[in-house]
Amino acid sequence: MFRFLKIESFKLFYKLKSWLGPMLIMILVLTAFPLSIDISQFDLEKFYFSIIVVSLLMTSFLATEGMFEEDFEDGSLEQEFLVEKDFYKIVLSKIFVYVCFIGVPIAFIGAIFSFANGVAIGSFMNVFFLLSLSNLLLFNLFAFGNALSINKGAMLGVLTTLPLALPVIILLGTAIRSIQYEDGFLEISSLMIGVSFLISAIMPLIISTALKTHID
Amino acid sequence: MISAFIHKFSSPKSFVRITKTLYPFLIFIGLSMLIVGWVWGLLFAPQDAVQGNSYRIIFLHVPAVIFAELIYFFMALCALMHLVWRVKLAAYLIKSAAPIGAMITFIGLFSGSVWGIPTWGTWWQWDARITSTLILFIMYLGILTLHGSFSNLEKSDRLMSILVVIGVVNIPIIKKSVDWWSTLHQPASISVSGGSSIDPSMLYPLLISIIGLGFTLISLGILSSRSYILGREKNKKWVSEYV
Amino acid sequence: MLISAQNISYKINEKKLFHNLSFEVFSGEGLHIKGGNGSGKSTLIKILLGITSITKGSIEYNNKDLKISYLGHKNAIKHYLTPSQNLELLFDDATLSNAFEWLEKLDLFQMQDELTANLSFGQQKKLALIRVLAQSSELIVLDEPFVGLDHAASDLLNNFFIQKLSEGTGIILTSHIYPSFECQVISLGERNV
Repeated sequence: MFRFLKIESFKLFYKLKSWLGPMLIMILVLTAFPLSIDISQFDLEKFYFSIIVVSLLMTSFLATEGMFEEDFEDGSLEQEFLVEKDFYKIVLSKIFVYVCFIGVPIAFIGAIFSFANGVAIGSFMNVFFLLSLSNLLLFNLFAFGNALSINKGAMLGVLTTLPLALPVIILLGTAIRSIQYEDGFLEISSLMIGVSFLISAIMPLIISTALKTHID
Repeated sequence: MISAFIHKFSSPKSFVRITKTLYPFLIFIGLSMLIVGWVWGLLFAPQDAVQGNSYRIIFLHVPAVIFAELIYFFMALCALMHLVWRVKLAAYLIKSAAPIGAMITFIGLFSGSVWGIPTWGTWWQWDARITSTLILFIMYLGILTLHGSFSNLEKSDRLMSILVVIGVVNIPIIKKSVDWWSTLHQPASISVSGGSSIDPSMLYPLLISIIGLGFTLISLGILSSRSYILGREKNKKWVSEYV
Repeated sequence: MLISAQNISYKINEKKLFHNLSFEVFSGEGLHIKGGNGSGKSTLIKILLGITSITKGSIEYNNKDLKISYLGHKNAIKHYLTPSQNLELLFDDATLSNAFEWLEKLDLFQMQDELTANLSFGQQKKLALIRVLAQSSELIVLDEPFVGLDHAASDLLNNFFIQKLSEGTGIILTSHIYPSFECQVISLGERNV
């Protein structure tokens, strides 16, 4: 397991485009949005979060694009199969590394921007925490879409995983409302933690089945 | 033992044989019930006290959305059978049911929009239930696209089944979403356990059109799966003997 | 016996690729799979590795953990890394020095810090082959190992095969040219039904 974590972080570190790109786009969208429409500060505070949520959705889709494609295309998956006979560990470590390298920084960027747009400093940690959890969920789901549609393009990925990502967005929306109105944050965040654990354990299993089908 | 049983009765060959005799009856029953239901509902059922005549689209809308979900459930069942017992027929059935499901979901969405204009004053609302039905439609499209994008058909069968099984999580969300978030959408009109909130004079034609549409869709499904099976297995001996 | 295949058949989209194929490979023995394009050589290799499942028949290994080293027609090296970084990914500390020796033997030593993407096709192939060359295993499986190699590298590879065979390793390979060692030959395509 440790070997996979090492390999995956080593590879991701050298793929500058894969981890820097999504972060830059996150910053770009979050900056461009208030500039693009004439809007009062009061209104902005009210729905700036929805922009954060949508850019989270976009960037995590971008970040996971080609997650397994490279390993599939160059034959690394076949090689791994000979050693492990199963992809669970490699998928688990890959998602973990991607979330740590890309997901958490993106969540941090989102939290900073929400802070800059009127969220109280006290809520900063809550927002950061929520966005990181949602990224964990989204990365798992998009990784699934990616594994299904290996090398068949983003369109197929969107079609297959967007339906699954929507509940996450709704959950995140409810959670953010709970921060804004200071009501029920604990309940909703514990629900999210529970769901995250479940999804992060089960999804790699499904993904590894899909990958096995692909190399077959 | 279960698997032996399933495999015996699930060969594409026996499916094609059995459905050949079954099919004419089903289409006859389906279409005639549909005609009876719609003629009754559109011409003879009384006007609604609040909605006037516009409610009559219920006789298309409700059956359509019911089968939009039911077909997906059916596909999920088939997908499980395909993944667990490697039943080939199950994958063929998913592939043939998906376009029908997509079509009926679209009809459900469209008729809902048309109904929305006179009753809610808007043809679209980001209401949880409508949104999830739209998502269901996207899922059907996703399944179809996924299956179409691989050259190795057995591979696509399996990947498609995985996607269908995962997507079935979406159905309870559709069901529950009305209760979770208060929305414009009226609660379900017919319930199995409690009394229905709809008058019997409207309920009977509705039930008849639901059942009629069900049989029609089944016969449509049989038609498309038969041609799909014959196409997929054209290199097999039984097909050339059969044709 | 390292690996034995009994009456294996494989179908893709209901078309038979091969039918009732049987063979055995013992340690110290070579097996050369030949056949035209599309005759199923690569598929057969993948079946032997357990990646692709067969339609009928059975494949047995001498033990479950049979150590196989394999290189398919996909190189399984990372283009955005340098050759030495690629080797670091593939080998642990104990075997890494051996891998670098091969890098030198294959004339790649001076390229080790360039991006792999800038290497020529043959050089990339050689780099990929180090995965097999520098690893100890009981069975070596190769899909078209000679493609893209120059004479010197082909000779090196042939000598490597001969040495490994004498050490008791089994070798299975597909190739259009005949390897310069004694081996069984299976020809696909002629058996096609």
